[in-house]
Amino acid sequence: MTTEAHLTPATYLKIWVALAVLLLAGVIISRFPMSKPVMAVTVLGLSTVKACLVGLYYMHLKVDRRWLTGIAVFPLVVILLAVLLVLSSTLVRL
Amino acid sequence: MSQAHALSATVGESMPTGIPSNKLGMWLFLASEVMFFTGLLTAYIVLRMSNPNWPGPEGHLSVPLGTINTFILLCSSMTMVMAHASVVRDDQKGLRAYLFWTVLFGTAFLCIKGYEYHLKFAHEIFPSTNIFWSCYFTLTGFHALHVLGGVIANAWLLICALRGKIRPENGYPVELAGLYWHFVDIVWLFVFPLIYLI
Repeated sequence: MTTEAHLTPATYLKIWVALAVLLLAGVIISRFPMSKPVMAVTVLGLSTVKACLVGLYYMHLKVDRRWLTGIAVFPLVVILLAVLLVLSSTLVRL
Repeated sequence: MSQAHALSATVGESMPTGIPSNKLGMWLFLASEVMFFTGLLTAYIVLRMSNPNWPGPEGHLSVPLGTINTFILLCSSMTMVMAHASVVRDDQKGLRAYLFWTVLFGTAFLCIKGYEYHLKFAHEIFPSTNIFWSCYFTLTGFHALHVLGGVIANAWLLICALRGKIRPENGYPVELAGLYWHFVDIVWLFVFPLIYLI
């Protein structure tokens, strides 16, 4: 089965609509009166969903070799560990 | 082997990993770029969290302009992936049209970003103004340089397509340029909310 059998131009258009809706949702949510941490988690969560959609469908990770996903995710894991380390020291100082 | 793999593997590259070497190379390059941008974004988050008197944009950032620019990049990602699909189908007309739109969207993004910079400079806001604007110009500046690189690469592909030089058997640069372009889009999906919304 080919990549194109999985991902057709119709799929790409649906993903584009989903991305546009999520973008609008993020902007609207950011205008709501709510605490900064809740808003930050919500808006960045929506960004993560959008990034996953682009990676999976537009960059074809959904149908490509699994370990290409590993190459994409590995630096994120390293950075996440570094961020947790830095943030923990920052929070201790506060 | 999928058509996408076949497309990337037509220039005689070895495939000991099952992945065409050019595609594997592009993904490794993107992995290094992920480290670069997440480093910058993390620095921004840590600076902001550790500074109780964070200055912020103080009304000098336009959320509508930022939203329009984000939408433009999302549109360009869609046209780029459509260009790749057109190469696979050997749809020359579609390839030229989608590459044209991708270049146009990328250029529009840079023009709007340039206009935003112009507004900042007109209000005497520079990278040295305070820590927020230092972060703003660093993050958006490096991103804009990456967009510029993508626009140049896509414009070159468009010229090749107009000359009829891109066929399914040698169309791998469209896929590689697409991977880079989508990555640039993903980076902006995080820069935009962090700088403009939160």
